[in-house]
Amino acid sequence: MAEAINHDPRLAIEIAGIRFHNPVIGASGTFGYGLEFAELIDLNRLGGFATKGLSARPLSGNPPPRIVETHGGMLNAIGLQNIGARAFIKEKLPQLRGYDTQIIANVFGYSDDDYIEAISILNDGEGIVAYELNISCPNVKEGGIVIGNSPESAARLTEKARRASTRPLIVKLSPNVTDVTLVARAIADAGADCLSLINTIVGMSVDVNTRRPRLSYGTGGLSGPAIRPIAVRMVYEVARAVDVPLIGIGGIACASDALEFIIAGATAIQIGTANYYDPTVTMKVIDGLSAHCQSNGIEKLNSITKSILTE
Amino acid sequence: MMIETLATVESNRELAPGYRLLTVDFKQDVQVSPGQFAMLKAHASIEPLLRRALAVYGVQGSRRISFLYQVLGRGTEALAQVEKEASVEALLPLGNNWPVERAANQRAIVVAGGIGSASVLMLCKELAASSVDAQLFFGAASKNAATGCGLADLSALGLPLTLTTDDGSLGERGFVTAPLERHLREGAGAGATIYACGPWVMMKRVAEIAAQFEVRCLVSLEAPMGCGFGVCVGCVVAIKTDGPLGYDSYKRVCTEGSIFPAETIRWEVNAMTH
Repeated sequence: MAEAINHDPRLAIEIAGIRFHNPVIGASGTFGYGLEFAELIDLNRLGGFATKGLSARPLSGNPPPRIVETHGGMLNAIGLQNIGARAFIKEKLPQLRGYDTQIIANVFGYSDDDYIEAISILNDGEGIVAYELNISCPNVKEGGIVIGNSPESAARLTEKARRASTRPLIVKLSPNVTDVTLVARAIADAGADCLSLINTIVGMSVDVNTRRPRLSYGTGGLSGPAIRPIAVRMVYEVARAVDVPLIGIGGIACASDALEFIIAGATAIQIGTANYYDPTVTMKVIDGLSAHCQSNGIEKLNSITKSILTE
Repeated sequence: MMIETLATVESNRELAPGYRLLTVDFKQDVQVSPGQFAMLKAHASIEPLLRRALAVYGVQGSRRISFLYQVLGRGTEALAQVEKEASVEALLPLGNNWPVERAANQRAIVVAGGIGSASVLMLCKELAASSVDAQLFFGAASKNAATGCGLADLSALGLPLTLTTDDGSLGERGFVTAPLERHLREGAGAGATIYACGPWVMMKRVAEIAAQFEVRCLVSLEAPMGCGFGVCVGCVVAIKTDGPLGYDSYKRVCTEGSIFPAETIRWEVNAMTH
């Protein structure tokens, strides 16, 4: 039995009827299946986490090299290696249910039917509170098309997932579009309960000696502090285009970074790449948000969501 | 149990141009087994962003750990700048360890290439203290590299040591795999375990030689790592499975390794990383 934790009530938030101790969520793809962090942080203190993208069937992912460091960030092309939705329910969920944190199942597929199949499997998984649809992974394409890059295909999949899902639906947006608000609006209108943004930005790094891309896949998704201003801008734009709650993601490494997203329009935030180089970063951000509330006399952190002054 | 902590630098000295020995005080007891590694970077440094995986070279007492490293890129260049009393962020111990049979009838053949020596010094110490019949083969690019890769520490153990350098500036000229092959051809490999760590091409060749002479062989692999504890899935190596590449084809060097049975590695698939 875990020791009782005094959660800071000022940090509590609610999204689509789900209560989170705080707005700090581990981002999909950087948080494994959660259990990897159990030795390093108190998972019971965490708002929640999104699992590595789960597909209906296990995926092998891309050949190495899969990651390369860049300035202020990194490129990855993992290719969604994962154990599959069934194995997640059988092997990971029973242990995860012992923790008082919200488990969001990130869902991935190559086609609409794949997504629906994964959701149908996961609907039986007790302890999952919501789905996050990964329609924006830049490292897996079927016929060269990323579903999340077009308002029409994104809305179509959202509608189908909405019907298949027994749980609230978060849709994760791609930044690799000309106008993120067009896709955001289409997805919100199609029934998404929440939008999370941004996924990684497509990038490339070249080995000048071999003249080959540094990643076997060629291109990869850029993440880390380098992308944060782009992500904050997109949250700011989307917050003005839709009424659903937003989860801000992109290069967050401290409480001040998280606050930028919240002020720009996010109700919660996800921490990704920073988990790699500081596995305890989520705890530090939670503490930092409490300190900010304290020093600024903020009674409810969510009162400053979308409080940005642009005059 | 993994420890995530700030450790204090006791020394960070150059052993030879391009090679350094970093010794840090963890201020708490740390249990490390031979072959394990740590993720390290200078405290609060923004660039480079990611920590670097360094093999544990030696343990003094229960709290002081040293890391032998070659200055090769942005990460190790930044580490080379870290001064005495500075803090380093560290996560350890990580990865599996060299399994050591201590029985008197066991034979061990350790093959280290270049900075791969960092991963085997603790193993060699354990072997030297046991009744195992151990042989050490150590290859480096040059006399300078051999010195930088801890030749003095390896020699001091008193194990039979065969040394090669690519340029012949010290020991036998050529690759370390040549005397290894001679050794096995003479029948010295019967019942032995080969422990190998070094450049990819060296380990690939060691694996071939081990297979040829039917000697058990373990290799400690290196890969670019994002996290070191299994979540980024960036450091994978292709593993032999039945049939084509599939779900179980990739294993994480950081958590399922870094030590693998040599015959399980798909050496040709991973070549691009090295």
